[in-house]
Amino acid sequence: MKKLIALLGVCLLVIFAIAPSAIPGPLPKVIKIGGQGVTSGAHADYGRQMIMGSTLAIDEINAAGGILGSKLELKFMDSELKGAVAVKNARYMVQDWGAHLLFGVDSSGVCMALGPVLPELDRIHIFCHASTEKLTEQLVYEKGIKHIFRISVPTYQDSIVPALVFKDFPEIKKWAGVNCDYEYGRTCWTLFKSTLKKYRPDVEFVAEAWAPFWTTDFSPHLSAVMAKKPDGIFSTPWAGEGVMLLRQALLLGVFDQVQAWWQAMGGSVDLLEGLAREVAKDKFKGKLWATARYIHNWPDTPENKAFVERYLKRWARYPNYSAETSYSAIYVFKKAIEKTKSLETAKLIKAIEGMRIKCPGGERYFRPEDHQAVYNVPAGKVIHDPAYPLPILGDLKVIPAEDYYRKPPFPPIE
Amino acid sequence: MIGRNGKIPILLLVALIVFLFLLPYVAGKYVMYMTMHILVLSVFALGFNVLLGYTGLLSFGQAGFYACGAYGCAKMLLVIPSLLPGVICGVLFAGIIALILGFLCIRHTRIYFAMLTLCFGMMIYSLAWKWRTMTGGDDGLVGIPRAPLEIPGIFSINMSSLGNYYYFVLIVCLLAIMLLYRIVNSPFGLTLQGIRDSESRIAFAGISVKNYRLIAFTIAGLYAGLAGALLPPLENTVTPPVAHWTHSAEPVLATLLGGIHTFAGPIAGAFLFYVIKDIIVRFTEYWLICLGAIVVALVMGLPGGVVSIFEKRLVPWIRLRFAQGGRR
Amino acid sequence: MENLAFQGLVGLSLAMYLWLIAAGLTIVFGVLGILNFAHGSLFMLGGYFAFTFYGLLGINFWLSILLSLVGVAFIGLLMERFFLRHIYHLDVPYQLLLTFGFILIFDDAVKMTWGGVFMIPPMPDFFTGAVLLFGRPFPIYNLFIIGAGIGVAIGLWLILERTWWGRIMRASASDREMAGAIGVNIPMLFTTVFMFGAALAALGGALSTPVRVVAPGIGTAVIIQAFVVTVIGGLGNLKGAFFGAVIVGVLTAYGILLFPIFELFIIFVVMAVVLLLKPEGLFGE
Repeated sequence: MKKLIALLGVCLLVIFAIAPSAIPGPLPKVIKIGGQGVTSGAHADYGRQMIMGSTLAIDEINAAGGILGSKLELKFMDSELKGAVAVKNARYMVQDWGAHLLFGVDSSGVCMALGPVLPELDRIHIFCHASTEKLTEQLVYEKGIKHIFRISVPTYQDSIVPALVFKDFPEIKKWAGVNCDYEYGRTCWTLFKSTLKKYRPDVEFVAEAWAPFWTTDFSPHLSAVMAKKPDGIFSTPWAGEGVMLLRQALLLGVFDQVQAWWQAMGGSVDLLEGLAREVAKDKFKGKLWATARYIHNWPDTPENKAFVERYLKRWARYPNYSAETSYSAIYVFKKAIEKTKSLETAKLIKAIEGMRIKCPGGERYFRPEDHQAVYNVPAGKVIHDPAYPLPILGDLKVIPAEDYYRKPPFPPIE
Repeated sequence: MIGRNGKIPILLLVALIVFLFLLPYVAGKYVMYMTMHILVLSVFALGFNVLLGYTGLLSFGQAGFYACGAYGCAKMLLVIPSLLPGVICGVLFAGIIALILGFLCIRHTRIYFAMLTLCFGMMIYSLAWKWRTMTGGDDGLVGIPRAPLEIPGIFSINMSSLGNYYYFVLIVCLLAIMLLYRIVNSPFGLTLQGIRDSESRIAFAGISVKNYRLIAFTIAGLYAGLAGALLPPLENTVTPPVAHWTHSAEPVLATLLGGIHTFAGPIAGAFLFYVIKDIIVRFTEYWLICLGAIVVALVMGLPGGVVSIFEKRLVPWIRLRFAQGGRR
Repeated sequence: MENLAFQGLVGLSLAMYLWLIAAGLTIVFGVLGILNFAHGSLFMLGGYFAFTFYGLLGINFWLSILLSLVGVAFIGLLMERFFLRHIYHLDVPYQLLLTFGFILIFDDAVKMTWGGVFMIPPMPDFFTGAVLLFGRPFPIYNLFIIGAGIGVAIGLWLILERTWWGRIMRASASDREMAGAIGVNIPMLFTTVFMFGAALAALGGALSTPVRVVAPGIGTAVIIQAFVVTVIGGLGNLKGAFFGAVIVGVLTAYGILLFPIFELFIIFVVMAVVLLLKPEGLFGE
């Protein structure tokens, strides 16, 4: 045994004699940006789109001379939707690879695990997808972890918007929820219920089913929920799971029985691609409603159109919201660094707080209270439009974000 | 194999320990972080190997006790932000659960034992996952403080710097490893090996096989719990995957890599496991297939693990080269 | 009351996928004595192959299923002939470890070949639609799965009881040395049995593709359920595997309907109780 330890010692000496990780000073020649998202499994398209969006932005910026002469370099890692992996990745990227800036993260559970570690790492992180309101309401506003910024719409979009849309449908009285069994699904369902109840006290929530990650068969969940004969279904499983859920719902004849189905992130490109055939045949009977954190066909501005065209040309796919948020995040970094002329965390934080910046998805405003970006995203029905090779959201309803975003001091959600 | 002492090895062992103590001064934060993970996995795997290598029982549920240690420590830290109560709470919680479940598990052996441990491990996982009010569910417990190491009224050492926490983990792990070395080299350890090799003979000698197995199981659980308890202050978060059976596979793999039949095998294996994974990941994202291939190759060709190459080839060679006169 | 019956039917269709994997796992364990951890990965491969043939290449649905069975059986052949054969004499830990190594290999191999993103093939047209059962629409595809599962059960029973190969399998399962002594070509038998078990798992995977996503990691998710089923039914006991699958499938479905918090926990409690009180399984001898 002792000899073995001897061998180990020699190996350790050889392999581990590495220099300490780089510390950011005033603008190095290469600015390193570390990102992470889910790049494997049923949700892999989100991480991939993040890579595509950020790479496009970085290549554009580098081609134009970089940020104040410094080039950008990207490293992207798989968070596997696990908090522990994300924390380890972040540590690796900052302390070993030398990342100056961080972005990404898909899951609400993961962002809550990663957020508290950022002060120790002394880096800012722009969250591009993870949507739990607790990230900004609790970690930034209450606990003062200023390193956190979120560029994508939070759960207000997934849950308050449908409440505002469906309050005007008097015939939809009974709601059921088929939700992901983790922070995101739980908080969306609770926020939806409490918001709708305020406008429509006559509404009842008759059933709920909870599906964890890796559920492949939602038929028991659907059949449990349909037993209570709801008028409307509120649903949060996303990505591949969302596609499966909707197909299985079609098989069970759900769309003949309900009047509306709200698929929170149904406006996401991978979901729309997965359901293209069914939408073309109008299997959803015009009852499928959804939103996203950005949709490529709104706003109808030259900037957005140009972005979509560049993206299509580069990647041969339509940009998903995680692509647009990551693309914009890189430009937020650029704008902040051009203002501060430094990579010091405290200065960058001040620069992004209160920043207004034009992005493909519209103008974003980073409110200083909780570092949440405020911008508009419409909701609509999933429809077939011959102008596009995949379904889009149509019959759009645009509610100004200012009107429904929760504001400090953030009352508790009942 | 166990306990062979030569002059050279002791010197190298001391050199290694000294090096580990000097690590924060020669290497960066990420290396410290990885070394802590290696130390924790070593403790985890050593406990596991008490069951496999010494007692002949394969447990696929050790992650359950690791989770007990992790959640126990985390819950305590969220109430009393002091490091020692947290770690002790985690270890004790894991030990108690190990004692209870062990009582049920050791009634069977071999495949049924493995299935039972897998089953109990997954039960703990499903509780950790679904009992949101207690464990935070899928999101786990977050914001766990890296509490100071203190004895009220006597001293308080701040742990927020990674270096300080590294020393804490290093010292605790070294102590735990030394303690386990004494345990397995005692008559108790020899009896365990006797049970592994010939159960009926030991029983004829009047020894209660079940009791010995239960003690071994509890020791494995305590060590898994210690490994788990060292985690929350480091990562500030505990999530259900720490209880999943795929996490139970880590000490199994580490022990297999390093060698089942030696004391230090799991330590070597823990080191190799992390080094392999870390190195492979820099070149390709497909590190699982490399690890899988290594596992297959080891089982097929080298069931004794890396340490066995070391012991069988390198050691005699080193001995031959450096032997003091007359010892050929 | 009708809702309970309906939910039970849903559970039954869930059970059939479990039965298909558990059947292969049980046969392999019964005859070869190996608990194949990688069996879930064979299920996953069956799904990927079926998706490739049917979804990407547009081959006829039934032919695609057949081709995926052949493909996975071939992989099973390679696994058994070059790897498993050499460890029959080793202890259970090593078998589990070797097959665990294969899980890792298959997971990445699948990612390398098909990419890490999920894939969803189209549903064959003759399967869309539902029939009214207990007053609610029940998908025709689920009925088909139930039928297929029962069909496989009957088929396996026939093979084991009525064919020469089946008899040899049963003989080798109960006494390998004796079977070898009376002239059974054990190595050949083992290879064919392993291929057969792999094909059964692949069938489960192939049949699940139209309704479920195919993604890496499905194998790991499904193997635990398969273990639970085989333990409850009795390791090496085929009849037990069938009814074990039914129990687990129906319990899961009722759990979701009635006890949403604890449905996963209940399954493992049942498994533990069976292991502790009757380790040979509910239907074992």
